[in-house]
Amino acid sequence: MAMDPLIRYATVLAGVNVLLLLPLVGVWVRNYSTFRTNLVLGLVVFAVAMLAENAVAVYYFFSMSSFYSGDPHVQQAVLVLRGIQFVAIAVLSYVTVK
Amino acid sequence: MEKALWYLLTATRGGANRARIIRALSEQPMNANELAEELDVGYKTVRHHLDVLVDHDVVEPGESDYAKLYFLTDRFERNWDTFEEITERID
Repeated sequence: MAMDPLIRYATVLAGVNVLLLLPLVGVWVRNYSTFRTNLVLGLVVFAVAMLAENAVAVYYFFSMSSFYSGDPHVQQAVLVLRGIQFVAIAVLSYVTVK
Repeated sequence: MEKALWYLLTATRGGANRARIIRALSEQPMNANELAEELDVGYKTVRHHLDVLVDHDVVEPGESDYAKLYFLTDRFERNWDTFEEITERID
């Protein structure tokens, strides 16, 4: 069954979030091996949890697209939430990699 | 400044090198070229880190335009204990 366009956009955003989170996890894991601080450990756990959350979201969008079809409001809400999360992760990536 | 230092030095990609730059400047003020040589890091990388450290009021450039020397700021010096605590963690 074909995916509705809004859910397809949301899936793409979740995929981009995964791609942004991978280097963040990389930086923080490497820094944790240098500094061993709770701050960096917290960031590693945070990024891994966000990574899992986005991967699960992609899985749901594919496997349960019938849940979302037929209700454009739900699709819109899902897309907005993914969009806000994308902004948050993009900004955090920028300040961390700079 | 304390929280910012922790993030700047332990959570960012260039954190370890920024800590090395601060350590080197605490021994004696240097210009970007000397820092690059001393730490064996590319000149452009050193320049970038110096700009970030200036933005965060950790280091400040001296007066001269040529081969500008960089100094630690008074504000940073007041947080020296935090810096020590951070760098104790680098083996």
